[in-house]
Amino acid sequence: MTRSAGCVWLLLVVAACSGGPTRSDETLRLPLINDPIFNPLLAPDLGSVMVNKVLFPGLVRPDEALRPSPDLAVSWLAATDGLSYTFALRPGVTWHDGVPFTARDVKFTFDQAIDPVSGSRLRSDFAAVAGVDIIDSLAVRIRLKTPFAPLLTLLGYNAGILPEHLLKGMKLTDAIAFNRTTPVGTGPFRIERVSPGSSVTLVRNASFYGTKPNVERIVFKIVPDINAQVTQLRAGELDLITIEPANLGSVQGAAGVRVLQVPVVQHWYVGFNASRALFKSAVVRRALGLAVNRSAIVKGVLKGYGDLPGGTIPVALHDYYDSAAAPVPYAPDSATLLLASVGWTRGPDGTLHNASGEPFAFELLVDKGNPTREQSALAVQQDLSRIGVKASIRTMEFAALVRDRVLPSNYDAMLIWWTTPPDPDQYSFYHTGEDNNHVRYSNAAVDSLLALGRATADTARRRLIYRAFQRIEREDPPVLVLFYPREIQAVSARLTDIPRLGIRDALRHSERFRIAH
Amino acid sequence: MIPFLARRLGQGTIVLLLVSVITFVIMMAAPGGPSLLADPKLSVAERAEIEQRLGLDQPPAVQYVRWLGRAVQGDFGASFLYQTPALTTIGSRLPQTLLLAGTALLLSIVVGIPLGLLTAARAGGVLDRVVTFACGVALAVPAFWSGLMLLLLFAVWAHVLPAGGAVTEGGDVGLIDRARHLLLPALVLAAGGCAELLRYTRSAALTTLALPFVQTARARGLSPRRILWRHALRHALTTVVSVIGLQLPRLVGGAAITETVFSWPGMGRLGVEAALGRDYPLVMAVTLVVAAGVVIAGIAADVVQMVIDPRVRAA
Amino acid sequence: MSTRNISLVLAAATLGLVLAMAIFGPALYHASPVTVDLSIAGSGPTAAHLLGTDESGRDVLARLLAGARVSLTVGLSAVLLAVGLGTLIGAVAGLAGGWVDSLLMRLTDSALSVPALFVVILVLTFLGPSVFTLLCAIAATSWMGSARMIRGEVFVLREQPYVEAARALGATHATIIMRHLVPHLAPTVLVAATVGVPSAILTESALSFLGLGVQPPAASWGNMLSGAQTYLISSPLLAVYPGMLILATVLAVNALGDALRRSLKSDARLRV
Repeated sequence: MTRSAGCVWLLLVVAACSGGPTRSDETLRLPLINDPIFNPLLAPDLGSVMVNKVLFPGLVRPDEALRPSPDLAVSWLAATDGLSYTFALRPGVTWHDGVPFTARDVKFTFDQAIDPVSGSRLRSDFAAVAGVDIIDSLAVRIRLKTPFAPLLTLLGYNAGILPEHLLKGMKLTDAIAFNRTTPVGTGPFRIERVSPGSSVTLVRNASFYGTKPNVERIVFKIVPDINAQVTQLRAGELDLITIEPANLGSVQGAAGVRVLQVPVVQHWYVGFNASRALFKSAVVRRALGLAVNRSAIVKGVLKGYGDLPGGTIPVALHDYYDSAAAPVPYAPDSATLLLASVGWTRGPDGTLHNASGEPFAFELLVDKGNPTREQSALAVQQDLSRIGVKASIRTMEFAALVRDRVLPSNYDAMLIWWTTPPDPDQYSFYHTGEDNNHVRYSNAAVDSLLALGRATADTARRRLIYRAFQRIEREDPPVLVLFYPREIQAVSARLTDIPRLGIRDALRHSERFRIAH
Repeated sequence: MIPFLARRLGQGTIVLLLVSVITFVIMMAAPGGPSLLADPKLSVAERAEIEQRLGLDQPPAVQYVRWLGRAVQGDFGASFLYQTPALTTIGSRLPQTLLLAGTALLLSIVVGIPLGLLTAARAGGVLDRVVTFACGVALAVPAFWSGLMLLLLFAVWAHVLPAGGAVTEGGDVGLIDRARHLLLPALVLAAGGCAELLRYTRSAALTTLALPFVQTARARGLSPRRILWRHALRHALTTVVSVIGLQLPRLVGGAAITETVFSWPGMGRLGVEAALGRDYPLVMAVTLVVAAGVVIAGIAADVVQMVIDPRVRAA
Repeated sequence: MSTRNISLVLAAATLGLVLAMAIFGPALYHASPVTVDLSIAGSGPTAAHLLGTDESGRDVLARLLAGARVSLTVGLSAVLLAVGLGTLIGAVAGLAGGWVDSLLMRLTDSALSVPALFVVILVLTFLGPSVFTLLCAIAATSWMGSARMIRGEVFVLREQPYVEAARALGATHATIIMRHLVPHLAPTVLVAATVGVPSAILTESALSFLGLGVQPPAASWGNMLSGAQTYLISSPLLAVYPGMLILATVLAVNALGDALRRSLKSDARLRV
C-alpha cells in the first residue's frame, strides 16, 4: 500500500512539474493578489491593472508630478473649442509580435472601449468620447461630445492600447488565449510564461521604443495574503509590496527592507446619506466633521502615514489642492454649538435630542477585513459619542455593503473611500443626481463648478475653479473626509530607481526599476 | 460486486444532484452578489448590462435549470473572475492540489497508522505518552499559525527553505526545488490529519485488543507482534479506512488556508476565492468537482472495506 | 500518585481554570474588552491594563476573558450538537439497516462530499457571522464523522455473539442499545467528542483567518490569534496569550477524554 502510494506521489510530482527553467539575478519580483486578465479594457481588479500597466502602454503616462507626459503619443494638441484632441503617435513602435503599431490600433481600442457590447469596463471613463478619426498612420483625432478636461489624465490611467491585428472581429471577452496566456502589447516587457494561480513572468522587450529596461525580467507572484507577502519580502523573495499601517511593525527594522511612502489620489471619508432627514442640513454635516479628531486617527491608525484633509481633493494633486486653507480642525465645542443652533441639545443621558425628543443616532457601515477602516470607524464612533451622537457600527462584506446598502441608498452613513485618476474632476461623485453620487449630495454652486471644471482645459483656470469648490466644501461638506492616505511601500534593499509614484502609476515606468548587485 | 458498484454509482449521482441544488440555493441566498458588480463606480446602466450578459437578470430557478442543462453536457460556464471556462480554471489548479493533498495524506498514513498501532500495543508507556502529547499539540495549533511560524523559522531566519509558492519563479524548476517548496505546506496540512488518524487507529486497535478473539489468540500463545499486525491492524482498518475517506474533502477542498499561507496555487484557495467573490459558475464547478472526487473515493473506501472485513460485505 | 493521575489532575485543573475564567472572569476584571483607545495602543502591562493593550488600545486580559467565554461556548456547543446528531444518525442507521440505513447514509454522503469550508463561508455570509450561526455551521459540517464511525461500530457490534445471544433471548432494541451497545460505543463517541472540541475551536480560528469567525470588536481566542499574526514581530505576546490558552485547553480536553475512555472501558468490561 505504501509502495503504490509512493509511486502515485512520484507521478504527481512529475505531473505538477511544468515550464522550463529560466534564471536571472536581474529579476524584479512583485506580488499580485489575484490572477490577472491581460486586457486593460476588461479588468478593473488590482492584479490585472498592475500587469496591464506594464504590458500595454497608453497614449500618455503620468510623470512624477502626476501630469500627463508622452508615451505612445509624442505630442498632442487640443482644439480651441475643446471638442477634439489630435495626437501625433510615436514612429517605429512595434507590437511584441513584431507587427508595427499604427493609428488603427488606437482607433480600434477606443471603439472597443466605448462599445456597449464589448464588455469594456472603461465606458464611463470615456463616455464623453464621440469617436476616433485616423488622420494618417501615425496621427489620430479623438472627438468629444462635450469638452472634457480629464481626457488626457484618463488616457494615461487604465487605457492601454490593444493590438487591432490580433483582436479584430471577435468579442474582447472571447479572446481567451490573448486575455489569459498570450497577450501582445507594446510595453518594455513582454509575456514569457503564465502559471495559473502561481505567477506571471515578463521578460525584457528588446525592441522597446523607450530607454532599455534595467531589469531582465519582472515576475509577478500571486500571493493573496498580506502576511505571506510580508514574509516573502523578509525572506528576500519579493522586492516591493504595498502594506497597511498595521504591517509596519513587521517590516520596520527588518534586515534588507526599506519603507517608503507616496501620497496617492484617494480620499477616505464617512459618507452621510443626505436623503435622510438627519443629514440633510449642511450645518449638521459640518458639525460632525468638526467633532472627529483626525490627527488622532492619522497618528494612531495610520501611524502617521497619511495627510490631514481639507476637502475631497487630496494633497497628491498638487496643482489643485487648496494648500492655502488649513486642514479641518478638531473642535468638538464648536460642533456642539453648531448642532444646538439647529435644534440638537443634550438630554439628561448625555445624548443629543431634537425638539421632538428623537436621539441623534445612526448606523455606520464599514466593510470588514481591513484593520485601517475598522479602527477608523471605531475612532469616529468614540469621537462622536463625546458630543452625544450615537453611531452604531455595522461591518459587512464589501460586495454586500455596496450592492445591498449603498446602491439602493439604504444606509445612514458609511466609511468608504474613492481612488481616482490623478485629476480633480469629481463630477460623478458629487454632482446632483449622478450615479456615483451615493451620498445624494446636492449643491447648486458645486454643480456648476464641477460642470465647469471638467469642461475647462486651461490648468490655471481649472485651479481657480477647484479652489472655489474646496471653499464651498468647508461650508457644505459633501462627505466627512477623514484623511488622504499615503501608500506605504516596503522595498528590498536591492531594488533602486523606484519612480516616486503609487505602485500602479510607477508600473507605467517599469523600465526604470533597477536591481543592485 | 458489479451490482454493488452500479448501485453506488446511482447513489453518487443523486448525491451530486443534491449537492448542486444545495450549493446553488445557498449561493443565491447569500447577500452581495458577484464581487464583479461590487465596484461602486459602475453606473446603473453598466451594471444592468453586465447582469444581462451573465444571465443574472433571470429568476434563480431559471438560472439553475439553464446551468444544469449545460452542466450535464460538461459545460460549467465561464468563471466571472477569470473569464475562462470554470473547468479549465480548475484543471489548471488540480495537479497542484493533488500533489499537496496526496503528499499530506501519504505522510499521515505512513506516520499515523504504524504509530497508532505501536502506541496501542504499549498503551500507557513512554512512547504512548509522548505521542499522545504530540498529537494534542498537532491538533491544537491552527494551520495558519503553524504555517506562519514554520515560514518565519525556515524561510526568514534560517533561509533554508523558500517562503511560498510551488516552484522558484524564474529559477531552476527541478524535483529538488519542487520538494523544497512542498515540504512545509505538506507538513502543515498533514499534521492535523496524521494526529487524527493516529488517535483513531490507536483507539480502534485498543478496542480490538480487548475483544475475546484476540484474548483467545493471546492465550493460544500467538506472539504480541503477530496479534498486533495480523488481527488488530486488520480489524482497526475498518475504522481507519472510513477516517481516511473522511479526510479527503478536507484535504482537497479545505486546504485553502494552508494554500493561502504558503501561496500554493491550489484548488482550495481557488474555491474560497470563488465563494468570497460569489463567482457563481466557479463555486458550482469547484463544489461539484470536489464532491465527485469524494463520492468516488467513498466508493473506493467501501470496496476496500469489503475486502478487509467480510462482515461488512455480509451487511 | 502515578504520572497518569498527575496529568489527569493537571488537565482537570486547567479546564477548571479556563471555565472559571469564562464564567467569573468578566465579572471580576472590569476593563472593557471592546473599548478602543488609540493613545495607549500596544502598551505593556500597567495597573489599569494588567496584560497591556492590543493594536487598537483594547485591554488584552479583558479580551482573553471575554474570548474564553466565546471560544468555549462555540467549542462545546458545536461538538455537543455535532456528536449528538452524529450518534443518533449513526446508531439508527446501524441498527435499523435496510432503507433507513441507505437514506441516512445518502444524507451523510451528500454532507460529506461538499467541501465544508465553502459551505460555511456561504452560509456565514448569508446568515452573518455570530456565535450562534458559527456553532450551527460548524456542527452542520462536522456531524458526519461520528455518524459514520458509530454506524461502523454498530455493524461490527451487532454481529458479536453476545448481542446475537441477547437478541435471541428476546431482548428489545432499547435493551440491546442500553446494555450492550452504549458501553461499547461510549469510547468511540468520546474519541469523536475529544477530537471535536479542539477541532471546533480551531475551525473558529481558521474562519477568523478568513474574516468569517467571531466578528471584532467582540473577542474570541481565534480572532485574537488570527489578528495577532500581523503584529507577530512587533508584539509577539499578543499571539502567545490566546495561542497558549487554545493549546492548554485542547491538551486538557484530550487528557480528560483519554481518562474518561479508560474508566468507561474498565466499566464496560465488568458489564459484559
